[in-house]
Amino acid sequence: MGRPRTFDEAEVVRSAVDLFAGRAYDGISIDDLVTRLGVHRNSLYKTFGSKRGLYLTALRWHLQHQVRPLLAGIGESRDAAQALERALAGTDLGLFLLATVERAPVDPDVAGEINEVLTEFDAAVEGPDAPADSRLAGALTATILGLHLRARISADTDALRAGTALIDHIRDSR
Amino acid sequence: MAQVHIEDGMLVVEIEGLDKLWALKSRLEIPLVNVRGATADPGIVKEPKGVRAPGAHVPGVVTAGTFHIEGERVFWDVHDPTKAVVIELADERYARLVIQVADPDDTVTQVEHAITHR
Repeated sequence: MGRPRTFDEAEVVRSAVDLFAGRAYDGISIDDLVTRLGVHRNSLYKTFGSKRGLYLTALRWHLQHQVRPLLAGIGESRDAAQALERALAGTDLGLFLLATVERAPVDPDVAGEINEVLTEFDAAVEGPDAPADSRLAGALTATILGLHLRARISADTDALRAGTALIDHIRDSR
Repeated sequence: MAQVHIEDGMLVVEIEGLDKLWALKSRLEIPLVNVRGATADPGIVKEPKGVRAPGAHVPGVVTAGTFHIEGERVFWDVHDPTKAVVIELADERYARLVIQVADPDDTVTQVEHAITHR
């Protein structure tokens, strides 16, 4: 029992994605969450169980609504070059990248979610009609993630330029 | 101070020393299926705690016992806010436990691991 929830859970989860993508997990206190998400402490615990519960909810939302749609686009690409082009356009993979390096090694649930998406990433990059490219899938996924990583510290255009050069190289070598 | 450990699918919280008197409790046993999570939360002592009954509340000195807030029952045993851990429960007498432990990060890891692998 208790007061009914007076906050928009989906909105809170979306804000939590941005917050967790921008700072180390251990560097975010419940005070930060209460202040930045605008949710009462008791409601936070009642809804998500713990800080980790909120983190997992936010990560799953990010993977489902921000990363997987990107994979769908990549999967429908003509070839590796177009897959790369689409993979580098726009989408912010911040929480996915940070979770991979920071939380996946110490949290089996996070590792499970991340590994699932990495497998889907390889499958999407591979594409159903491109058996000749299958050995490249893992390398291409790594390239895409690496370029997204670099885009976080330099202007997006630099990563895009590196991506474009690679795309041209792939096309030329055909 | 409280000691927390996992035993046969139960989360066991043992209240130590004089806090047994203030809190009027010495041991709590919660089935792991009713444990939703644990969080280190030094900031929670600044929140309104609600109405105490029964137990002792001398602001700034000791917060121990059962508090009622927003229709929920919360068990408190905290002297040192930097070592406070919040354990959220479901279908239990208490909605949550706010307890002081020796190593908050260790307790959080232990509890979260236990409920992930129960």
